[in-house]
Amino acid sequence: MAKIGVFICHCGENIGAKIDCNKLAATIGEHPGVAVSVEYKYFCADPGQESIKKAIRDNNLTGVVVAACSPRMHEATFRKACAEAGLNPYMCEIANIREHCSWVHTDPDMATEKAADITRSMIEKVKRNNKLQPIEVPVTRRALVIGGGIAGIQAALDIANAGQEVVLVEREPSLGGHMAQLSETFPTLDCSQCIMTPRMVEAAQHPKIRLLTYAEVVSVDGYIGNFHVKVKMKARYVDMESCTGCGDCITKCPQKKISSEFDCGIGKRTAIYTPFAQSVPNKPVIDKATCTYFKNGKCKVCMRSCQINAINFDMQDEFIELEIGAIVVATGFQVQNNAVYGEYGYGKYPDVITGLQFERLASASGPTFGKILRPSDGKEPKTIVFIQCAGSRDPSKGVRYCSKICCMYTAKHAMLYAHKVHEGKSHIFYMDIRAAGKGYDEFTRRAIEEDEASYVRGRVSKVWPKMSKLMVRGVDTLLGKPVLIAADMVVLATAMVPQPDAKEFAKTIGIAYDEYGFFNEAHLKLRPVESSTAGIFLAGTCQSPKDIPDSVSQASASASKVLALFSKQTLEREPVVASNNEATCAGCWGCVLACPYNAIEKKDILDRSGKLIKRVASVNPGLCQGCGTCVTFCRSNSLDLAGFTEKQIFAEVMGL
Amino acid sequence: MVIGYKPGTTADRRRPHFIRTPEEADQLVLDSACITNLSGYLVSEGLLSDEKAVAIFLKPDGIRSINILAAEAQLNIDQILILGFDINDNQVTALEGEKVEEFATLIESIKEQAPDALKNPLLEKIEGMTPKERFTFWQKEFSRCIKCYACRQACPMCYCRRCIVDCNQPQWVNTSSHTLGNFEWNIVRAFHLSGRCVGCGNCDRACPVNIPLRLINAKMAQEVLGSFDHFAGMSHTQEPVLASFKKDDSETFIL
Repeated sequence: MAKIGVFICHCGENIGAKIDCNKLAATIGEHPGVAVSVEYKYFCADPGQESIKKAIRDNNLTGVVVAACSPRMHEATFRKACAEAGLNPYMCEIANIREHCSWVHTDPDMATEKAADITRSMIEKVKRNNKLQPIEVPVTRRALVIGGGIAGIQAALDIANAGQEVVLVEREPSLGGHMAQLSETFPTLDCSQCIMTPRMVEAAQHPKIRLLTYAEVVSVDGYIGNFHVKVKMKARYVDMESCTGCGDCITKCPQKKISSEFDCGIGKRTAIYTPFAQSVPNKPVIDKATCTYFKNGKCKVCMRSCQINAINFDMQDEFIELEIGAIVVATGFQVQNNAVYGEYGYGKYPDVITGLQFERLASASGPTFGKILRPSDGKEPKTIVFIQCAGSRDPSKGVRYCSKICCMYTAKHAMLYAHKVHEGKSHIFYMDIRAAGKGYDEFTRRAIEEDEASYVRGRVSKVWPKMSKLMVRGVDTLLGKPVLIAADMVVLATAMVPQPDAKEFAKTIGIAYDEYGFFNEAHLKLRPVESSTAGIFLAGTCQSPKDIPDSVSQASASASKVLALFSKQTLEREPVVASNNEATCAGCWGCVLACPYNAIEKKDILDRSGKLIKRVASVNPGLCQGCGTCVTFCRSNSLDLAGFTEKQIFAEVMGL
Repeated sequence: MVIGYKPGTTADRRRPHFIRTPEEADQLVLDSACITNLSGYLVSEGLLSDEKAVAIFLKPDGIRSINILAAEAQLNIDQILILGFDINDNQVTALEGEKVEEFATLIESIKEQAPDALKNPLLEKIEGMTPKERFTFWQKEFSRCIKCYACRQACPMCYCRRCIVDCNQPQWVNTSSHTLGNFEWNIVRAFHLSGRCVGCGNCDRACPVNIPLRLINAKMAQEVLGSFDHFAGMSHTQEPVLASFKKDDSETFIL
């Protein structure tokens, strides 16, 4: 015999102002099987929860219905309260009389009537609820970090230093990412490589970190605690084991004019190369697209120059499979292609460069060894115009968002320029100076006051060459006057955009992304480092534009989430999963296709002698997310979802 | 075994003929009255379980049914030998090919003609009605339904071991012959056949009270063809339209 307790919440004025809760309690009290029907101002508050617990104990309730707000708000709260009173938590259901009733209706009498219907419907459901038990799934204590920039390295180190295994995958030949390309970093002007390379070495040498460079994640299957990951190890054509990194092959390579990705096209590299001198691992790869041997079938100069025969042109891409418990995605960003701004002449005039190219010019390890020189003629520029928001905050040609770091790095560029070329003059066109952060506003003030950067509030309309100069026409909106500057160089504060393959990659690993291709967090404010998929976390600029301190903080936050997951041998999952009636399953495999989580497998039913009787669908409860897609597809109604069984739903509908 | 046709109870009726011995082949008939889609017999319990091949007389619609049944893992196409034929102006012509894949070009051409072939004067009349008139029309048609489930028994696609109407815990489909139950049964059937019906007409002919069942299925076939470019039975690896999705599926019904 059912003994259902119904608890009707006023939610302050939210429900109470529209619905007559006393009348509702009286009406519901007469429904068959209802043992207790009471109302209260706030059942979610401590005294409210205590009264539910007391009612369960005093009346030996078999089920509880809380008529209140959406189950998304407080289902967990009330189920926990029921469990504390000794009732199986899945015997508690929420009748949503706030979002579904009081908030959307105006007539109090009709709203009260509807609230009674909703509540009765849930009472009928709860009578047919089953005492479900949480599912325990084992956790593989090994993390995968995708991306070897500062965020990925930080996350890997934090996890590894806590004693857990990490696999760090980087698709370029070396760790480092964008931070390794930078000259100095704001707001302290410490040398980027000097703080970055020790971290790279630490990650490479850490006994708990398995480093896979020149490798890409090609597939992710499974679920939290139990991911199966396939990684493609791109052929390096250099044996990692025997190569000593002496660099003889690099000096001998006849292809010397290949545009260097690391130097953003300003410097050159060879076909067999390491991206930069401090690469980790410091062992070269052969770029198949530009190598003479791969193009013409002749050369092999590098092979002959190698004294230990580490070069092997027959090397093939290899695939390795990994068992992983949690994933940190730290795949970083790219800079927008500024060629979309024809008026700035990027790509047309060699002395119009991006901020990242300026970083390479200013870097001591860069193509000019830290001297600021024009790409066109190698002369020192006496006047530089910096254009902020070259792409950011521009819905027409660029991106709508603010790239967040450009105000800071442009101020830094002006400062570095002032320190390197004392008589140099810098003009900065800006929309707003956004310098929120520790020491950031002080930094931009220093650029203006001590290093004499001239800030012009306004946009640039055109850049064109005249003699050896670049004429920059803009407007000073504070003076309301047009401005014309003859510059030697123009630096565009280019927008930060997602990796070009970010959306495809998000689909590969199964996480959500926004309209631009930045990966979505589970909750912008309260769960900023979790992705929408359990067990996959985000770090750094793959989520949104960020500076180094923010990327590092988020990486450490992700690492702490991973470590929390790894703190137990098993993890508990909601038992709301589908199951199949093997007797009636026709084996059409519609559910297998329909399942968005690949949770349904084909299972052979054998007789005692091992002969195949039939093949049926079988739901893996570890993978099932309880979405119910398979249930709606199954023509023979063989599939059913625990917690939302056909019987429960039918009773719910009939209760209306 | 060979599955074909033999004379039926009246001169213009044919019944299925299951031939196990050479002598039984003498009764075989093939003429313009052989319109039943025989493919459903292949999935009757155990017929193919000995893993031996079966030859079967099939019109193009029946060949498409073989593709769907194979795509839904109900049969192995290696076991099926097709004796294809078509009927035009009461003349029977043989079709080239034995294996289901060999009929791909034929099915492709049927798909191209489908938008016109699926048109029907009565269907167009119904589409011209207001929703209320349409409801009244179908209410009247369905009012004759006696829930004999002959349509289900005749349909090659209704191979479930337990049909949803035989499920009584809970009883989603009301078995009584009232408006509610009549609509429930026929709408459920229409959904279960959408993207799967080849329009063979087995259901239509089986119905003892002459409900124009084929119209409902033709309408669903038009819908899936128009919305998802899905034509039932194109190949034995075709994915079911309601369980698969493409990134460029049109979203006319979701905001």
